[in-house]
Order: sequence, then C-alpha cells, then structure tokens
Amino acid sequence: MKCCKVSDFACGRALKGMLLVFSLVLLLPLFPYAFAEKHSPIVVPNPGTDLWRAVRHASEGSSQVKGVDTGVLVDDNGKSWLEFRVKKLVPYSAYLLGGVLSVFLLYFLIRGRIKIEGGPSGRVVQRTTRIQRWAHWFVAIVFVILMLTGLVMLYGRWVLIPLLGPDGFSGTAQVAKTLHDYVGVLFVVGVPLLFVVFIREALIKFKVDAMWIVKGGGYLGGSHPLSGKLNAGQKLWYWTAVLGGVVLCVTGLILDFPNFEQGREVMQTSHMVHTIAAVVVTAFFFVHIYLSTLGMEGVFRAMTTGNVDSNWAKQHHILWYEEIKDQAVPESEPSEAADIPATAKQPG
Amino acid sequence: MARMKFLCDAERCIECNACVTACKNEHEIPWGVNRRRVVTIKDGEPGERSVSVACMHCSDAPCATVCPVDCFYTTDDGVVLHDKDICIGCGYCFYACPFGAPQFPATSAFGSRGKMDKCTFCAGGPEEDSSAEEKRKYGRNRLAEGKLPLCAEMCATKALLGGDGDRVSDIFRERITYRGSAAMAWGWGVAYDKQGVKKSYSQ
Repeated sequence: MKCCKVSDFACGRALKGMLLVFSLVLLLPLFPYAFAEKHSPIVVPNPGTDLWRAVRHASEGSSQVKGVDTGVLVDDNGKSWLEFRVKKLVPYSAYLLGGVLSVFLLYFLIRGRIKIEGGPSGRVVQRTTRIQRWAHWFVAIVFVILMLTGLVMLYGRWVLIPLLGPDGFSGTAQVAKTLHDYVGVLFVVGVPLLFVVFIREALIKFKVDAMWIVKGGGYLGGSHPLSGKLNAGQKLWYWTAVLGGVVLCVTGLILDFPNFEQGREVMQTSHMVHTIAAVVVTAFFFVHIYLSTLGMEGVFRAMTTGNVDSNWAKQHHILWYEEIKDQAVPESEPSEAADIPATAKQPG
Repeated sequence: MARMKFLCDAERCIECNACVTACKNEHEIPWGVNRRRVVTIKDGEPGERSVSVACMHCSDAPCATVCPVDCFYTTDDGVVLHDKDICIGCGYCFYACPFGAPQFPATSAFGSRGKMDKCTFCAGGPEEDSSAEEKRKYGRNRLAEGKLPLCAEMCATKALLGGDGDRVSDIFRERITYRGSAAMAWGWGVAYDKQGVKKSYSQ
C-alpha cells in the first residue's frame, strides 16, 4: 500500500481515524436513546404503576385502624418466610435429625456399646460437682420439654394429624404451644447457669482439642486421642448449647411477647433464626444422649452419682486422669478428697 | 359456582372507614380486632390513594399452607375460612399473610395470642349456618341468607366491590373503559368531557 511507503506514522493515524469512524457508525443507532432520555418533551408518569409497585413491597401508608403494621397494605416478606418454613426447614431438618439418628443406629449395630477397657476397677473419681448436676438436669428437663413441644409444632401437621385427627391434634398442639411459651422463660435462666458451671472445663485448649477432632475422637478406630476433663466433642456440645441457647433465648423472647408490638418482619426473622438454632442444638442433643447413655458404658453415672470409674477416666480422659488419679477411692466408701456432697449418694 | 372476590377501586375510595365500622358492628367484633381496615398511601401528597383491605380469600392461601394445625379450609364459593376450635393462636398465619388479615384478640397473659379472627366474607364458620354458635365465634353468616358482605354493600362510593369474581370484574372493566386508565384518569377528559366518551357511569 502506498501510505505505508510514505510513513508508518501516517499509516497508523489513518487506521486510527478509520477505527474511530467505524465505531461511531456502530454506535449511531444508540444515539436516539441518549437523546430521548434528555430531551423527551412529554413525561407521563404512570401514577398507578409506581404506587402499586411500592405498595407491594410494604411501603408504609397510614390507617385509622391503629395497631402493629396496620399502615402496610401489602407485605410480601411473608412469602420468603413461608417458603423457608415449608420448603427448607421442614424437609431439611427432618433429613438432618433423621440422619443423625440413623448414623448412631448404624454405629451401634457395627461398633456396639463402648465398654470400659479392662472392665471397671472398682475405684471411683469425682467427675461432677453437685451444682453442675443440678444445673445440668434443670437445663436438661427444660430443654427436653421445649424440644418435644417444638417438634410437635414443626412436624405435627404431617405426623400427628393422621394419628390423632384434627381435633385431637389441636388439643395436643394447644398444650405444646402453651408449654413452649411458658417453659421457654425457664430456659432463659438455664442457659446462663449452664454457661457458668461448666465454663472452667470447657475452655478450649487448641492443641489437644484440634488433635482430638483430627482423630475423630477415636470413635472411628485408631488410638484414643489425648483429652483433658472434657474432650473436644464435649466442648463443642457445650458451646453449641450455650451459644445456641443464647440465640434461642433472644429470638424466643421476641416471639414470646407480641405485646411489645414488634412488627411482622422482626417476628419472621426471629422465627427463622430460632428454628435453625433449635434444629442444630437438637441434632447435637441426639449425639449427646446417645453417647451418654446407650453408646458408652460407665458414663451416665457422672451425672447421677457424680463419680466415674477410674478405668473409664483413664480410657477417655487421660490428661485429666493423670491429675486426679491419687484421689480415686473405692466405690463403696464416700470420698473425702473431693467435695463432700458430690460423692455421697445424692439423687441427681 | 361463584368464586367470591373483593376488589377495592382506589380511584373511588374516600377513606370514610364505613366498611370498617359496618364490619365491626355486623359481627360484633371485640376491641383490638379489625377484620377490615382502610390504608391510605401518600397521605396528603399528590397521588394520594386509599384502599380498603381485609382477607383476600386467596386461591393458594399462605395462611393455610403454614398453619401447624391445618385449621383453614376453602368453601365452594372460594371463601377461605378457619376453625376456631382447632386454631391454637400461634400467629404463623399472621407472619405469612401479605395483607395483615389475621387478627388476634389479646385474651391471655403477656400478650399471648388468642384464637385467630379474620374476615369471613360474611360466610361464618364450620358450625351450622346461622346458628348462635356460629354467630358468637365468627359473626353473622350473610352469605347463607343470600346477601353479600356488608362492607361492600355499605360502601357509599361503591369503591369496595364484593361478590362473584366474574360480576366484580365486569363492573370494574366497564368503569375502567369509561374512565380511561392510569394518568388519563384525572386528566382533561374527566373535567371537560371528551368526544365520544360516555359520561354516565352505569355502575
């Protein structure tokens, strides 16, 4: 080409110019839009469209009928709450809780009950104080009532109506709802109590606890990992119960007292958070129940008499056992070393 | 079979609250409960509109979907009703309803909710039609007497229409046709007549 012979610089300029013109031509069809946007002579807003669009998303109006949210004509947030509850919460919580139960049933069938290695020694060490046991059983009873009544509200429509009929289930649900509302207040007392009485033992020791988790607590075979008075699994349960408990208490109180005139959206959010926390704590609760009763020998007595067999302590909590093994006493006589009421045959 | 519907014409509603009062009186509704309310949007601003709202008797009612005791049912006329003997006052219907229709009388301690109450389309409840029991729990059953909801019958400007969906839409469609829609509704034509537009509103 000729221009290339004259100078590369000139050629480059010509090319750039051509590109510019070309791109302008390409953009040409868009110009009317830009123009129309600025210079449109007639603006006809449709009052209807804007008004009703705003109304649909809970735009606040006013009403002579005074009350909570009465000025809101339409609030479609309830739809998200409905879909969460019906399409997510109910099925997925059933999978989770059912899954946990199935896993433990399977584990029990394969592994059986975890026995004390070498059998009981006949010598016991103190595991819990009396205050800890009282706090434990207080929270336990309150929680079981709340869990059962909560499950009635969650699954009753599908599980209990076919069994009891609509009228029968209505009675059950009425009792469940009332109990849940009133006993829930006791849970607000229980959670801080639980927090205080077990906090010293439940503080996380990173190295030991991480190793315990890496080894799966020794439940899936391999050697038993080192553990202090509480192992990482128990600490995890403690923190789930305490933190989950706080969330449950806060959201529960919001739901419990509609007389403070919190609006629907606050209620919907609280309800979602409340149910998620409840399902998580319940799933962990199933783990706790299995491992402290059916799943393991020699552990339940820690929460009844307050002491455990020294061989059990050695097997499951070796670091703790090393600290207190000198305090072991024969099963028949009450220990003097530990605090006195805890080792006596106190009812839980 | 009719499919009952409410429709409130926002161009006509003058926020007189007669529908609210008529409903309260007809059904002897207790303090704190209003089955119907009038909501005013943009109060005192240009484009102010008022709409009377109550239970809309949805085809796929969210309240019925979430009710843990399954106390809702839909009549042959498409009216959504509930059984107060089964209701436990949990409030889930109130969370789910977009119109704020479910109401709860504060009958027990700490603001705990009583049995839910809502608009019945003047169709009572599951009890025998027009029985004293039905009247006490749900108010008067006007549909069984061959009458339409009182709120709509009372409406002075005929903004609130209630009845068979087909009839309601016929009336509204005719209005819209004569009125013009949206921006044109309150324009030149309304004040000075437009060629070819009939001014006498038949409904």
